[in-house]
Formats: sequence, C-alpha cells, structure tokens
Amino acid sequence: MTDMDAETSAHTEPMADEEESLFSNLDIFLFSLIIAFVVYWFMSRKKPEPIPEFKKLDTPAPTTRETSFIEKMKKTGKNIIVFYGSQTGTGEEFANRLSKDAQRYGMKGMAADPEEYEMGELCRLSEIKNALAIFCMATYGEGDPTDNAQDFYDWLQENDDEDLSGLTYTVFALGNKTYEHYNAMGKYVDKRLEELGAKRIFDLGLGDDDGNLEEDFVSWREQFWPAVCEHFGVEALGDDSSIRQYELKEHTDLNMNKVYSGEIGRLKSFEVQKPPYDSKNPFLASVTVNRRLHKAGNRHLMHLELDITGSKIRYESGDHVAVFPTNDSALVNKLGQVLGVDLDAVISLNNLDEESNKKHPFPCPTSYRTALTHYLDITNSPRTNVLYELAQYASDPKDQENMRKMASSSPEGKALYQNWVLGASRNILAILEDMPSLKPPIDHMCELLPRLQARYYSIASSSKVHPNSIHICAVVVEYETPTGRVNKGVATNWLKNKLVTNNGHKSTVPMFIRKSQFRLPFKATNPVIMIGPGTGIAPFMGFIQERAWLKQQGKEVGETVMYFGCRHKSEDYLYQEELEDAEKNGVLTQLNVAFSRDQEQKVYVQHLVKRNKEHLWKLIHSDNAHIYVCGDAKNMAHDVQAALYEIGEELGGMTRTQATDYIKKLMTKGRYSQDVWS
Amino acid sequence: MSAEKMETTASVSNGAGPVYEGKEDALSPEDLSEVLAAGTKEVHEKAENTQFVKDFLRGRIRKELFKLGAVALYYTYTAMEEEIERNKEHSHFAPLYFPTELHRHEALARDLEYFYGPDWQSQVRCSQATQHYVDRIHQVGQEDPVLLVAHAYTRYMGDLSGGQVLKKVAQRAMKLPSTGEGLEFYQFDGIHSAKAFKQLYRSRMNELELDMEMKKRLVDEAVKAFQFNMEVFEELEEIGKTIQEDVLDAGMPVHGAMGGDINKCPYYAVKTAASGGTAYASQLAMAVLRHPTGQVLLATWFAALAGLAAWYLM
Repeated sequence: MTDMDAETSAHTEPMADEEESLFSNLDIFLFSLIIAFVVYWFMSRKKPEPIPEFKKLDTPAPTTRETSFIEKMKKTGKNIIVFYGSQTGTGEEFANRLSKDAQRYGMKGMAADPEEYEMGELCRLSEIKNALAIFCMATYGEGDPTDNAQDFYDWLQENDDEDLSGLTYTVFALGNKTYEHYNAMGKYVDKRLEELGAKRIFDLGLGDDDGNLEEDFVSWREQFWPAVCEHFGVEALGDDSSIRQYELKEHTDLNMNKVYSGEIGRLKSFEVQKPPYDSKNPFLASVTVNRRLHKAGNRHLMHLELDITGSKIRYESGDHVAVFPTNDSALVNKLGQVLGVDLDAVISLNNLDEESNKKHPFPCPTSYRTALTHYLDITNSPRTNVLYELAQYASDPKDQENMRKMASSSPEGKALYQNWVLGASRNILAILEDMPSLKPPIDHMCELLPRLQARYYSIASSSKVHPNSIHICAVVVEYETPTGRVNKGVATNWLKNKLVTNNGHKSTVPMFIRKSQFRLPFKATNPVIMIGPGTGIAPFMGFIQERAWLKQQGKEVGETVMYFGCRHKSEDYLYQEELEDAEKNGVLTQLNVAFSRDQEQKVYVQHLVKRNKEHLWKLIHSDNAHIYVCGDAKNMAHDVQAALYEIGEELGGMTRTQATDYIKKLMTKGRYSQDVWS
Repeated sequence: MSAEKMETTASVSNGAGPVYEGKEDALSPEDLSEVLAAGTKEVHEKAENTQFVKDFLRGRIRKELFKLGAVALYYTYTAMEEEIERNKEHSHFAPLYFPTELHRHEALARDLEYFYGPDWQSQVRCSQATQHYVDRIHQVGQEDPVLLVAHAYTRYMGDLSGGQVLKKVAQRAMKLPSTGEGLEFYQFDGIHSAKAFKQLYRSRMNELELDMEMKKRLVDEAVKAFQFNMEVFEELEEIGKTIQEDVLDAGMPVHGAMGGDINKCPYYAVKTAASGGTAYASQLAMAVLRHPTGQVLLATWFAALAGLAAWYLM
C-alpha cells in the first residue's frame, strides 16, 4: 500500500497540471459531492423511521353514552335524524347516505341506531327547528323487525296513547318481494306513526331487493329531497348557484379520435369489435330482414332479423335480446334550437366528488349531439327532482313556483305534476316549449336527464334452427298526446328505420343477449301450453320452431298448444301463415286464436282458455304440461291466471284458495312461467 | 298413456278428475323439488344455527376466516363442477346442466387471487374437512352420478337464496370494495332473476325420471351434503380460535390479514424488543436492511467511505 502511496502521491503532485490519471482529486471531490447530494436528497425525502418506544395504550374511561337524540341533535346543530333498522348493513348505509345528503340542501343530518337511543323522545322532535325524522326500516324474516329495531317496534305497539303530533317523518322500507310479508316493518312504522298523530311529509318508499333495491332507493330519494325543501321552505343551497354534481369542461381542438361518438364502453368499440359481447361491449349486428307483419290497419308491426355470424354469440329460445337505440335526430335538433346552443360543441362533465367511481354521467368527452342522441333519455316525462333543479332557470316567478311545487308532496303539487306532465305526456322538449321562460343551460340539463336504457325483446327464433340469426317481433309505439304532439317510442321507431338496403350500406344494431329462464321443458315429450297474444307471440315462434326441429330429428314430441289473440283477423294476425302451417304439420297440436274486435263482444285468449277447460286441465294435472304466458302484464297475464284458478276450482274439485295455491305452486316448481311486460 | 287415463276415468265427466279424491291427498309432494326441500328442512335449520353462520350473519367474520372459507369453497366447487362436466350428458344429470349460469370455480379463483395475490395457488391447500367433502363428491360423480343432483341442489340453490344476503354482510364486515372484488363467488352474472332461475331449476329436477326410492336416496345424500358443509364450518371455527385475537371492532387489522409490512408495526417491534436483546438487535439490523431507505443510507455511506478512501489513498 505504501508503495502505491508513494507511487500515487508521486503521481498526484503533478495532478493539478495534468488530466491524464484515472481519478484526479477533482474527480474524487466531485464524486463525493454527488454522493453527498444524493445522501442529502434521500435524507430530506424520507426520514428513516425510528422504531418507537410505545407506551401501553390507555383505554379511555368510558363516558356515559348520550341516549337522548334530542340533546345530541341540539348539541351538534342537526335538524334531521335518520333512524335505521338494519340487519345486514344496507339500511344503515342508506341512513348514512341520507344524512350526508342533508347538507346539499342546507341542512344537517345524523344517522342513529334506534337501539342506542330513547325512542320515547320522538314527541320532543318539535323542540328543534325544521326537524325531520327519517326511518330506513328493513324487514327481517317473516315480517319481523331487525334485531336493532326490536325495542322500537315493541314501543310502537305498546304505547297507544303516545302523542306524536310534534313529529314530522318519512319512511323508506327495505325488503324483498319474494317474501310473503314484503316490507312489513317499513309499512307498519309508516302507518303506526300516522296513527299516533305524526305528520308524514313524503310517501313511504318501498325498496325491493329481489328487483333493484339501490335503484328504488335512489329514485325515492331524488324525489324526497325536493319535497323536503318545499315543506320547510328551504332553498336548495343558495339561490344563484345550484348544487351541481358535475363540472363542465369545454374542449377546443381535441383530436376526434378521443371523442366518443356513441360507444357504450370502450372508445372505438364500434369500429374495432372484440368478443365477448355484453352490456358494456355490444355487438353490431347487421339487419338482414325488416318486414311488416300487419296486413292492414294503422298499427305498425314488424319482424326483424339480426345477423350474429362471427360474433360467437349463443342464445336459446326464450332468451332476450337487448338493443341500444338512439333518439330521433329531429327531436335532438329541436332541443338544440330551443336551448339555443351549438350541439356539436365537444364537452366533458367531470364529477366534482373525486372519490366517486362515476367520473362522468355518460362517456366523455363527447358532443352534446351525441349525448342527447345516444346517451340520454329525452322522451320519458322528467321526474320531479329534474323539475325542481331546473326551476331556478325559469325567469317567470310563477313558472319557478310551479316547477318547485310539482316536486313537493303537497296534494296540489302532486296533482299539477300528474296532470301537466304525466297526464299530458310531456317530455323535456314539450316542457321547454310550453314554458318559454325556462332556459336552462344545456350542460346542467344533461347532468339531470337519466341515461338512455337498452331495450329488451323476447327472441322470436330458435337457435337450433337459426343459430346465426336473432329474430325480433315488435309493435311500433306512436301516439298522440293531449297537447297535440306525437310521441314516438325510441327503440321501436329506431328499429323500424333500420332498413335492409342493397346499396352496400348496412343497417346495424348494437346488441347483446340476456339469458332468461323462460325455457321449453327438457323433455320433448312434456306438453306445452303457450299463451301469447299480440307481440307476446315472440318467444313462442322460437318454441314452435324448436318443437318442429325436434320432430324432424325423430324425437317424440308432446302436445303443443297455442293461444294467440289480436284485434282483427285481417289486420294484425301475426305470423298467420307460419302458425297455420305449423298446425297443418302437426307441430302445433292445437291452435286457438281470439280476434277481440271482430265481433260484438270482446273475445280474448282467457275466454278461449276457459272454453277448453277439460282438455287443459288434463294436460296440466295429469300430463305434466308446462304453461307459458307472454305479453301484457297488466291485464292479460292476470286474467289468464284467474281463468286457470277457475278451471282448477271447477274441474279439480278445489276451493278457490286451494286452486290458487295449486296454480301458485306450479309457478314455484317452474311449470308456469311468465315473460310479461307493462 | 293419455288414452288409458281417459278410459279409466270415463265415469267422471272430465279427463283428469278432481284433485282431492277420497282420503289420499293428491297434492302430497312427489316432485323431487318438494321432497328435497322437505327432507332437508331440519338439517338446513341446523346449519343456519351453527355458531359460524350465526356470527357471520351478524357481521362477525374475520377476514382470515373468510379467506379460508373461500379456499374451501374453491376446492368444493372445482370438484363438483368437474364431476358435473363428466356427467353432463348422463340422463340423471343433463336437465340440470347450467354451466354458464351456475358454475363458480372461475369466480372463486379470481376471489382467491384477490385475497392471496397472483401466486395464490401455491399458498392455499385443501383442509381436512374440505377433503372429506371433495372425496365424497368425486366418489358420487364417478360411481353414482344421480347423487350429484343432491350436491348441486344443496350448494347452488343455497347460493341463490341466503347466499345473496351473505354477500352484503361480508362486504360490509370486511370493508371489501363496492366494485365486487373478493365477492365474485356471490355474483351470478348469467342469472337475471334468482327467483326465476330457482323455479326453472326446480322444474328440471322434477323432470328427472326417478322412482320414490331414488328420491329418498337423494334426500339422504343432500342431508350428507349439509353435514359436510357443517363440518367445514366447525373446522373454520376451530381455526378461528387459534388465530391471533384481532380487535375488529376497533378497526385494527391483523398483520397477516392486511398483508402490510410487519416491520412498520410498532407493536411488533415492541414485542420483539421485549423478547430479547440480541434477537432485537438482529431484528433491527434486518429491519434496516429490508427497509429501502436503510438500503440507500447504507449504500451512500459505503460510497462516501469509498470516496474518502480514494481521496486518502490518492
């Protein structure tokens, strides 16, 4: 080392002059400087964590819990209290959300577990200004209260002479329709509080977990808050500014490749299609057939065929095809005119709540035209909360007042909404046209309008016969409103205009399949009874095709009975040729058709069902027949069920109750299926 | 068949005759769906009332146990769906073959990946109770496929009923993301209405051609299936007792469950400090070495040393 030292030191002396050696002093100095800098940089970035000396945590001395919610509300300045009866946490979650909502409307709320408070204090709620008690009550088991609401329930039952006239309240009930005592607890609380003198300020909300509890809650809450504001005469947070959820950003000079032009999910997903196809990634099926099914009359019935070759999409008869329609461009243009905006401006609406998963109300960036055409519902009558939020943009004070009133729960307000909006079938354009002082900014309106939903149709073909083609049977919706306007159904008119051309341009329909549980029996020998008047015949065309195919395959096929109904034989007897051929070939062992308006008295499918009662009862009771009903939910399905009860009563020797149980049991066991719509 | 019936009941004016004839109650269930429901009612209640399930419903479920539960489900459904695939054309199972709608093993694999990370397969194993269940499923699938119906019925119908409630409880109790990770098992994307699907499933069960004796055997097997499930619950309860007590209510998670860096935990450090000086010192050294800043510091210190040495030497 010393030798080296001697050598290197010998070298280093002339170092300052030469620059030949490998490491000059300067290099070392610079190197150390860099290291020092790096060390300094790291040190200043992150202090090394010392492993701390940790004292044992003192458990805080238990404070006496405040059991008076009145005192708590007074202490914390809250005027709204949301009690929850919750077993799995959903009721509690809803209560928390509602209490947070309050501040958007200039109020302060808190959620409360009824088990922790003295519920007897409800009569004292009037001590607080603008007080309101909301109850989110779930039903548990067989119509029972949740564990944490048991005491409250007992209290309600026992105290008949409790005077709750100082209490203003509303109830949202959480339940499940498959249970017999649907929402029993919520309904009870709503009724009982009224009996004890309390004042209900908004209708009972019913949430159905078998359907969509979240949706039920959100719709109820959207209408609830405007009603609350109306009731307390409270303005929704500030007169000039509005409670916006999204912030508008206008784009100039954006590359068109980054702008959405109607895609549901991924950008350019309509140009570059990739399976698998579903509700977020629909397949663009080309329309290969679009023909009228009606022979005369003013209702337009149509049959379409969609080509799914190459999509790898599979379906079964009975499944539903979902399509993403677009709004009528004339309607969109008129909206642009009335609002006085350039519809082709490219914008984004960004969520002000950065923690929310929902960044935009619809795919952004996009143009107003695209949003109104592809993404927003502009044909259904707007809900009350939309009117409430837009009221501020009506320059005429009377208009403003009316709009707010329609969102309230006052009887005049409700009646006004019922008549002026719903009864007159006014959509957003009609409202804007008939209330000229209302001039909302288009971006706020876009934030408030609901999303345009996909439409579902029962598939009218069998995949055994048509594996690459999906058939649709639909009636075009078009009607005149009391205001003299013509309202057109979005999807049916859109489908009607999907013409099959020879000029090379294909009409396409973005679609996906939603599996249903409406299925032919597994065994072909089981008889089937199909009842499907009007467009309800759709899935049965698939069923009939499949039964025919099974026969062709040499299988033994049980009885196949069809009940169809329409207005006039010469006008809307759908698929007449196909049905009569099927009857001739023995695929349909029985074809019964009711023409409701071809004679003096109305004849419907349920009348024909009753005429055949002996044969039907035999098929149902002895031959294990499966019954299928498709079509109108409101009247037909109900009437057919009633006809079957009658047959059971008469021929099965049962009482009305027993017959009802018998038929209902067929439903539980999957031998009586319904595919109905309202 | 129908012709015969017509003749024998010719004395009665209609073809089928009244439902309530004489003493025999013609509504007494012969349908498999009803026989199974009735036959498993008791054992179903018993299963609902095990401590594990009762705690679960109240939201008292520790994440570590939930994860182990998911592991057990994974092995169970993998076995069951394997046997279902094997027997999908067998006359005693075909009507119930609904892979798109029902099959769970892929969803469970995704859940396990969420809980254990990408190399989850090397981290999980089949517990003893689960192995009993799995063995029975394989035995049944290979030797007596009709009994597979009992296992499918027990699990899938349950998943579509109370199972939906469990999902909500689990999500809330373990603060799982609302986007559904960790709970894909409970999500039946191919089924729009659980109610309608159960009805369809029942109708298919009733289409199986089985005599009463066979149906009784199915009930026995279904009861066995419930018992296997209860055995798994009990095993989980036992494991639960040995897991380090966590104070779930106070919101402080167990290290393993949260997958955090144990060396950042002050409690752990105190514990190891208390357990012995040298151990502590080596722990400390390891901790420093494992810590990225420690590594940087060491590196820079080394570099500075080298620089100084070079300066000195040259």
